[in-house]
Amino acid sequence: MSRRRLWTAQLEADALAIVVGLAAAHLAFCVLVWLYGESPWAMSRELFVGTWGTPYGAGQVLFKATPLFFTGLAVHVALRAGLFNVGVEGQLAVASLAVGALGAHLPLHVHAVVAWPLLFAVAMGSGALWSLLPAVLRSRFGTHEVITTILMNRLAGVAVNVALGVGLAEAGSVRTPDVVLGAHLPRLSTLFPPLRGSAVSFAAPIAVATVIVVVVLLPRTRYGREAVLVAANPVACAAERIPVGRRLLESLVISGALAGLASLGTVLGYKGYYEQGLGAGAGVTGIAVAMLGRGRIVGMLVAALLFGMLAQGGLVLNAHVPMEVMEVLQAVVVLAVALGDGAVRRQVMEALRSVAVRAEARV
Amino acid sequence: MAVLCAVDVEKRFGSCVAVSGASLRVEPGRIHAVVGENGAGKSTLLRVMAGQLAPDHGHVEIDGKRLAPHTAAEAIARGVGMVAQHFQLIDALTVLENAILGVEPIGAFGVVDVAAAEAKLEGVLKDLGVRLDVRALVRELGVGDRQRLEIARVLYRDAQVVILDEPTAVLTPREATQLYETLHRLADGGRAVVVVTHKLDEVATHARAVTVLRRGRVIASREIGDVPRDEELRRLTQDVMGDAEPAPTRRARPARGEPLLELRDVERKPQLRAISLSVHAGEILGVAGVEGSGQGELVRVLAGLLVPASGRVVAKAAISVLHGDRHAEGLVLDASLQDNLLLGELAHYVRGGLLRASRMEAEASARLARSGAVPRELDLPAQALSGGNQQKLVVERAMSRAAKILVLAHPTRGVDVGAARAIHAKILEAASQGVAILVFGADLDELRALCDRIVVLARGTIVGEVPADADNERIGALMLTEAAS
Repeated sequence: MSRRRLWTAQLEADALAIVVGLAAAHLAFCVLVWLYGESPWAMSRELFVGTWGTPYGAGQVLFKATPLFFTGLAVHVALRAGLFNVGVEGQLAVASLAVGALGAHLPLHVHAVVAWPLLFAVAMGSGALWSLLPAVLRSRFGTHEVITTILMNRLAGVAVNVALGVGLAEAGSVRTPDVVLGAHLPRLSTLFPPLRGSAVSFAAPIAVATVIVVVVLLPRTRYGREAVLVAANPVACAAERIPVGRRLLESLVISGALAGLASLGTVLGYKGYYEQGLGAGAGVTGIAVAMLGRGRIVGMLVAALLFGMLAQGGLVLNAHVPMEVMEVLQAVVVLAVALGDGAVRRQVMEALRSVAVRAEARV
Repeated sequence: MAVLCAVDVEKRFGSCVAVSGASLRVEPGRIHAVVGENGAGKSTLLRVMAGQLAPDHGHVEIDGKRLAPHTAAEAIARGVGMVAQHFQLIDALTVLENAILGVEPIGAFGVVDVAAAEAKLEGVLKDLGVRLDVRALVRELGVGDRQRLEIARVLYRDAQVVILDEPTAVLTPREATQLYETLHRLADGGRAVVVVTHKLDEVATHARAVTVLRRGRVIASREIGDVPRDEELRRLTQDVMGDAEPAPTRRARPARGEPLLELRDVERKPQLRAISLSVHAGEILGVAGVEGSGQGELVRVLAGLLVPASGRVVAKAAISVLHGDRHAEGLVLDASLQDNLLLGELAHYVRGGLLRASRMEAEASARLARSGAVPRELDLPAQALSGGNQQKLVVERAMSRAAKILVLAHPTRGVDVGAARAIHAKILEAASQGVAILVFGADLDELRALCDRIVVLARGTIVGEVPADADNERIGALMLTEAAS
């Protein structure tokens, strides 16, 4: 098959996955809304108008999607190397605290040209640091990263609490002081006035650019290319002297760094400080974004926007149906796309078969 | 009466036609060989006949009745069983558990009737003339025994037709002879035996009928034994290779240069003990040994993947290694041909942190062309290639690295006669340019055709050195030495 045909086939598969996911989600939405005694048609209309129907709504969707661009990308980078980074949640929490605390203690009149690069680096560094232990354990001893990153999430919760308690927080609160003016990422409405009122900031275009740059560059670097090969057959890679352990370590650390960058959207672009729980859930949703996006630029962006839309939609419809309905829809989208995807379907079938074989063997 | 027939079978994979208009008639009481080049469609045709692949056109008949539904389960139920090229056994289970997997006799209260299963399997093994401890773990079995177990597994399911895909590719000469004794026994007992193989001398010696495939078509199907063996071999070679001229493999002996690779008392117990050898520039040294002799470990030591406990490895130049198992160690099956052809060499293509795509593509396509593997599509996953073509790929990669020392484990494993000759010619060419070469293998004819000297490895140590013109008997006896410990 030629490269061109492969490419179009891939595009068709992506488009199909998106359409299937949306259709399934909409169907589930209609059923759930109807169960709550509302008209599916009216609610669908309201949902759409409240999200994409106005510049404000669209801005809010983009705002909700901003951290998801980063966290989805973070999960994806680990996934390429065959690693499942469940620790994005904790990496983001630690990075957010670090960015908030440092941003508040910068000199009062520091210029953005200095503050931004510094805080971006701190976000990446602290996220990477929080993934370092699982990365080392995985590459040196083969300790499963799912276990260790989950543990690191719990540890992050404790660490953030303690740090806030021993002086990083403002007295009598669970939030850091406001970051200095120069550290703020301005609202996008300063550039596009129609977006006025929505919380979307310059973190959004930075996030989109990061997704594009990283996804484009990865297969064009030695690290990025070898990481995929290492995931597919570590034995053959080791036999040809590819540093398998190092590729795994790098993948988890880069993933942690990208997870940390999500604090741009929450701390620097939105609140201007860090408070306990800010950005919580973005790490978990990032897993879904990576699964849906399957490593393609358009897929990742659309997936993050879709989940942003569901989050914003929950607020829009809150007067009629509980917000949890939207969380159910997130699950429906993931399941529908997963089942529609041939590769995933095959994996599920294989897993079932191996369970069957094991059961047979035990007899 | 024909037991198993393929009628006008066609099978496509995407746009690639693997088998087209192929008919094959397998009769009971004899061994039927199926030969052809790599990718000629042999495995595909037989997998269709065993119900594992559904044909796009045509059908399969068993005892004159059409195979429907076209599934492996139905084929097995009607007495057709196949032993795959790569063993499909579960290491952690016993011989018995593997044999009965999926067809366990169920006794009272839904419990497996182990006694009945054991009795039946013992009967099968006895019929086969094979001694095998049914309670041994498969993990502990050698290759030959695993193969016997695979056959026993098929017979346990009452197969009347037994299909084997390249059964001797991983066997030593002695094991291969024993396998054919077993197969003759099956045929004499009234079963039909189908063997896919590249080894034409096996066909001439053991088969009563042969079918030759070329590019998915049956180009000859006939009885064997009407003409003398040498004449038969010549005809088979002609059939398989078409009109290609056979290449001479013997070379003029070049001057022996300085020693490039030396091993002194290399130890890593229990697999390797007191290994000393040296290879000179321009020399080809053969290392003959059966599975478990320490060959694999020695290759890994030379590749730098295994650190010896004591002793020294002195290499005066870069070493390029072809590992023995192309699926486990050679290829990333899901990755593209390009990624596989350049595996581990990306450092050479980095400029300014980025890979130079056009250079990589140019080098990969040059290598692909030299390898002779088809199809020539760099974007295809390695998985899409037949076993022989995959082998051509890993051989070409090892030989493309401009290393002055080459370590080649089983360089022609699973490739057809023509490709084997091409690979031999490449090895000889490299030696004539002053490369020091170590060839590991169990195929004595190959080692003798290539090597200047042959050392024999048994039980982890070198038990002797013979000149290349020593006879098979002598080398074979050494290979099976019980080394004094």
